[in-house]
Amino acid sequence: MASSNGTVQATTRTVRFRIERSDGPGRGTRWEIFDVPVASGGEGSGSANVISCLQWIAAHPVTVEGRETTPITFDCGCLEEVCGACTMVINGKVRQACSCLIDDYAPNEGDEITLEAMSKFPTVKDLFVDRTRLFNDLKRIKGWVPIDGSYNLGAGPRETPDTQQVRYKLSECMSCGCCLEACPQYTLEVEPSGKGFVGAAVISQARYFNEHGTGSTLKKDRLDVMSGVGGVSDCGNAQNCAKACPKEIPLTESIAAIGRSTTFHRIKQFFSGK
Amino acid sequence: MNTVNENESFLERHHYLLRRLHSLSGIVPIGTFLMIHLTTNSSIVWGLMDGKYPNMHGGAATYQHEVNFIHSLPLLLLIEIFGLWLPIAFHAGLGVVYALSGSNNVRRYKYQANWRYALQRLSGYIGVLFLFYHVATLRWGWTFLMPGNTKWDSEFAASTMALALRGETDGFTAVGMAVALFYMVGVSLLVFHMANGVWTAAITWGLTVTETAQKRWGYVCAGLGAGLMAAAWASVIGFATLDYDKAREAEEYIGGGHGSQILEAENESVRHSGAAGSEAVR
Repeated sequence: MASSNGTVQATTRTVRFRIERSDGPGRGTRWEIFDVPVASGGEGSGSANVISCLQWIAAHPVTVEGRETTPITFDCGCLEEVCGACTMVINGKVRQACSCLIDDYAPNEGDEITLEAMSKFPTVKDLFVDRTRLFNDLKRIKGWVPIDGSYNLGAGPRETPDTQQVRYKLSECMSCGCCLEACPQYTLEVEPSGKGFVGAAVISQARYFNEHGTGSTLKKDRLDVMSGVGGVSDCGNAQNCAKACPKEIPLTESIAAIGRSTTFHRIKQFFSGK
Repeated sequence: MNTVNENESFLERHHYLLRRLHSLSGIVPIGTFLMIHLTTNSSIVWGLMDGKYPNMHGGAATYQHEVNFIHSLPLLLLIEIFGLWLPIAFHAGLGVVYALSGSNNVRRYKYQANWRYALQRLSGYIGVLFLFYHVATLRWGWTFLMPGNTKWDSEFAASTMALALRGETDGFTAVGMAVALFYMVGVSLLVFHMANGVWTAAITWGLTVTETAQKRWGYVCAGLGAGLMAAAWASVIGFATLDYDKAREAEEYIGGGHGSQILEAENESVRHSGAAGSEAVR
């Protein structure tokens, strides 16, 4: 925001962006470097973030060598860290670009920020990735509450404050993919196999819907998927997911909870034959 | 939803069961055996403090006594094949398949649990090589892999173990030193592998769900690991530094035996030690 009385003097500093660019899937990558002027020292100067800098680079597509290049492609949406669209790898770690403030990451003149696309999803172009697999995996575990019927199903079961407490936190997942990018067990699939590890986000959503009164009617289907190929047992307990989650969702607890559910599910199945 | 798909491989069809058997086999029988094995082996040190054999190398005597007991077990070969070798081959074989499905990103995500994830896989790889060497040389008698081409002998358990780690009766040969170091690294990695594996197994099976529970169980596993590490190091250092002649003397006194001789030898040793013990008290 500009200062309201206009008396504060804002100077600018230069922040250098090293960006890994790609023209499309399977077309290789190259590094390009851009210098971006960022407001410095004035009131409201802290508002520059990685997205605002990318917007500047897209409008001025000239590298530090003075070579004109194509405008940078990136994805963004809400700009307040709730949609997950702008997730990328910044200085080697995955996070949302919109909430990544330049004053925190590059406080001094000439500081460098490195941007890469997420490595676990196919690149569409530059920093823009295709996260369809995540959506498909949410469909695989039936990540919804079944309320459609040919007649009025009436009110669902009441939720206790205790389960509400647990589930509210899980509901904050925005499917950004940070947990998957940081996971050593989650690997890139160029062609979707439908068998790959679903990862922490999806496991946590399976728990989220299993613990919902009406959602639990699909519990058996979810646990079948969770105890199958690509399910919870592919987790290697590196626990990077919980550290990488921008919403601090207790993903490792969800993994253990689903581990417990599948243990009982499979033992029951073994003895009941169903 | 559970349609049978003939395109699925054996590993895929039994994915969950195999994963859980892999986890279970690490604890029972392998982990359980490791605890017993390290307790037995470390008798080379705690046997010294036992006071049961005051007039000789108590470590070597106690260890020989333990070895005699193990060799008196009925159907020992079947116990070894079905209780140890096959479970270890199963655990290691599947473990390598599973480890290859993952990747390593500790350089970017330097979290403690991520380091343990990487080390768990590394210790598996090196551990299985170590175990193969350990069993091939000492149990299967592949003396060409032994320092100084010595042979481990169950009737002279401690003294020939010292040779296996040193290559000679006094001091170390160069190869012996390398083998002793390989033992230190191998057992340390395997003890870590077990302690960390018990920690992750509790998450896998859903025993420790909350972070608090996982942390608490982590302390228990760290304690287990520290205890086993002490036993492992005591064993290797104990054998690598023992006095060969004194160990030999103790072994001759205890007498390594086969079959019916064992009981006799055992009774005798108890009688001897009882007498020696009461003398010492007087």
